[in-house]
Amino acid sequence: MSQPSEPILQIEDITKIYPGEGKSTTVLDHISFDVYKEFLCIVGPSGCGKSTLLRIIDGLDKPTGGQVVFHGQPITSPSPKIGVIFQTFALIPWKTVLGNVLMAISSTSIQKEEQLKIAQKYIQDVGLEGFESSYPKELSGGMKQRVGIARALALQPEVLLMDEPFSSLDALTAENLRREVLDIWRDPAYPTGSVIMVTHNVQEAVEMADRVIVLSARPAKIVDDVKIDLERPRSPRDPALYDLADRIISKIS
Amino acid sequence: MHVPRPSLRKRVTTASAGKTASLFTKIFLSAIAVVTIGALIIDLLTGGLTPNCQNNPLDPLCIPGYAIRTLTRMTIAYAFALGFALTYGIATAMSHRASHVLLPLLDIFQSVPVLGVVPVVFLIILGTGANPPVFNQEVASIILIFTAMAWAPTFGVIAGINAIPTDIKEAAHAYGMHGAKYLRQIVLPAVFPELVWSSILAWGGGWYLIPVEEHLAFGSPPNQTQVDLPGIGRYIALAALKADLGLALFGLVVLVGIILAIDRLIWKPLGTRAEKYKYETVAAPRTTATRQSSVVAGVRRYEDRLVSPVLTFFKSERSYAGRVLEITRLKRIRHITERLRFPERISRIPLWGRLLSYAIFVGLVILGLIVTIMSRSQSIESGISLLATDVTGFGLVAITVLSLSRLVIAYAIALSWTLGAGILIARSQRLSRLLVPIFDIGQSIPATALFPLVVILLVNPFKNSPYLGFTLNLASVLLILTGMQWYLLFNIVGAVNGVPNDILEATTAYRIRGRRFVKEILIPASFPAILIGSIQAWGGGWNALIVSEYIGPNANVPGLGSFLVQASSKDPALATVEIYASLLVMTATVLIINRMVWRRLLRKADRYKFEA
Repeated sequence: MSQPSEPILQIEDITKIYPGEGKSTTVLDHISFDVYKEFLCIVGPSGCGKSTLLRIIDGLDKPTGGQVVFHGQPITSPSPKIGVIFQTFALIPWKTVLGNVLMAISSTSIQKEEQLKIAQKYIQDVGLEGFESSYPKELSGGMKQRVGIARALALQPEVLLMDEPFSSLDALTAENLRREVLDIWRDPAYPTGSVIMVTHNVQEAVEMADRVIVLSARPAKIVDDVKIDLERPRSPRDPALYDLADRIISKIS
Repeated sequence: MHVPRPSLRKRVTTASAGKTASLFTKIFLSAIAVVTIGALIIDLLTGGLTPNCQNNPLDPLCIPGYAIRTLTRMTIAYAFALGFALTYGIATAMSHRASHVLLPLLDIFQSVPVLGVVPVVFLIILGTGANPPVFNQEVASIILIFTAMAWAPTFGVIAGINAIPTDIKEAAHAYGMHGAKYLRQIVLPAVFPELVWSSILAWGGGWYLIPVEEHLAFGSPPNQTQVDLPGIGRYIALAALKADLGLALFGLVVLVGIILAIDRLIWKPLGTRAEKYKYETVAAPRTTATRQSSVVAGVRRYEDRLVSPVLTFFKSERSYAGRVLEITRLKRIRHITERLRFPERISRIPLWGRLLSYAIFVGLVILGLIVTIMSRSQSIESGISLLATDVTGFGLVAITVLSLSRLVIAYAIALSWTLGAGILIARSQRLSRLLVPIFDIGQSIPATALFPLVVILLVNPFKNSPYLGFTLNLASVLLILTGMQWYLLFNIVGAVNGVPNDILEATTAYRIRGRRFVKEILIPASFPAILIGSIQAWGGGWNALIVSEYIGPNANVPGLGSFLVQASSKDPALATVEIYASLLVMTATVLIINRMVWRRLLRKADRYKFEA
């Protein structure tokens, strides 16, 4: 995928320090990279601060130093042009599938009837047609995450952030959902250009991403930035993927 | 490289199983010993509280002696309550068939407003004479405190035994643990934590009675039976009778001091200890969320410039509220009542069990009635025929409706202020720092102890004013409010604190803030807690109702509570019948409201719970 010269997101010198009693903990140590129209994965060992970084990018958390720039504007609070998908789904238990998806766009200036149409469209797109009035408790894990995806897509975001979106799912469900997310992202009908996915599953990262940013253990620094130019759709059993995964794993450990 | 979702693993921390239980027993027994010996010494030193304290019962120097008398009564009652709880609880939990009757019966017992039982117990135990023997008075008093204390620990024992994981039971069985050994090594340690939590509730219930039952009069002046037991409750009651605001406040402060001291010195350490002995089902740490929480401590304080006001604010504030709540007993109370009051099994009781339990309850009431009548040598016929002339069925319904409307008004006030305050406390560090300790003390005051203050402030000044009717109703509603509000408040605070982080982040990411955040997230999230709090609040409200409606012969408002109190001063036979009648009406109303309103709503509340 060709990269236009103008980056969509610029992560500029992000540092995150948690001050503690006596000693403070540095979680993110001067992280900088640009995000273009691409599928970007951030991998790193457990607890290295990947998720904190993702939260800082969305404006959910505040960096101790540095800034995130989105189309030339520093991010200070969650933007309606950025959608988020959570590891634990984060669905409101007392809202129906439709209600949970509507929630994402309810703060926008879109007309109510239009909101409803958009929500219904994305519920269909993720394959949940007929489940609009179900409650999250009645759904399987995979279906819950589909709601999470529909909710993020309903914003029609330019950037989609995913925090370990498949790690709460069983292997088979995760595999299917990965493929569907890639299909949606590659479909020109969707406005989402950039995806940033945080994961500790290296295999998953090399299978899905155009580019993988590898973080070290805490305090996290960028130890590698790997371009993956393999044809899509990719086969999970492609030996080239294993080579890449090995390279990344050797950097982490 | 796929890492499967961490599965739930069960962790059992039973250091040395029997040790805690025996420690508890030791502490408890030595507490009894200390109190008893102390009481004896003080009695000897003060000459049995006689000369000075009998002539001048309001002398502040008598307070230590009074406190010890009251504490002794409560400790004895608590010992009986513990014994009852263990026997009844173990019987219920061990025998499936027995539980079909014992559980609903227990549920009926705890629905009886304790203060309504006061006249009944005194009727049965005290003779008809003007000065019943002190021993009988003491026995009656201890029985009453027992009825206030017994139910919560019993539910605690049942909940504790039910919480023993199946694998532990199977392991115990496989290693040949039976009978007494199983009881000592598995059941008692499992029961211990719940027993500690529920004991806090039990003592709260006991304290509630103290200001009422130590100084009481029955019957009309020529044949008046006077209950007069030296104690801290009587001190407050006497101060109120003399309209001495200073002394009433002094007694109140001492009472609250004792309650708080017992809480900090006994329940808090025991509770901390008990936590370690719980069978826990712990989810293995998730990669991110829990990782962060290891560094949580310092994070919050330094986030001065708010990125996302709602989220950052909320995150730091609620952790503070959580910490403040940790040191208060309110959190523990919330925890225990939530688990105990409505064991899920109650809804699965077969019909025969429920019917049988009602039959047993009615049988007990009839037995009580017969005993009362026989002990006072009255004819039941004359009582019932007099009842017809004194009050009609319609009249009984009318006063029930009047009392209910007072409860509803108090409930509406309580719910509206606690919902606002609960959300504010959970969201603002400064407010929770300021208010939680105040509320902690406020809720430790037994509502009955505030009664004298209300009399002095709201009733006495208006004795000859045309507004008396209004101020009396106001006083009644205020007293009911004090019996209701704390349950709601702390349930709501707990619920708002319990909204999971990922939900907070999602609502922030999708920019749901301000009024919408409160309406769409916080209030629905509090819904189950509001229901639990409401059930408890109505229980407290019914109790308060009984003292709140009748202040004196010239200062009362019509209602079930004042009907009950006034009944005791009527013709003896009539009194007996009316006291039982009003107690039955009250219990029936409580049970009907619980079944028709709260439980029905509670079943709907499942949707509003966050998934673990």
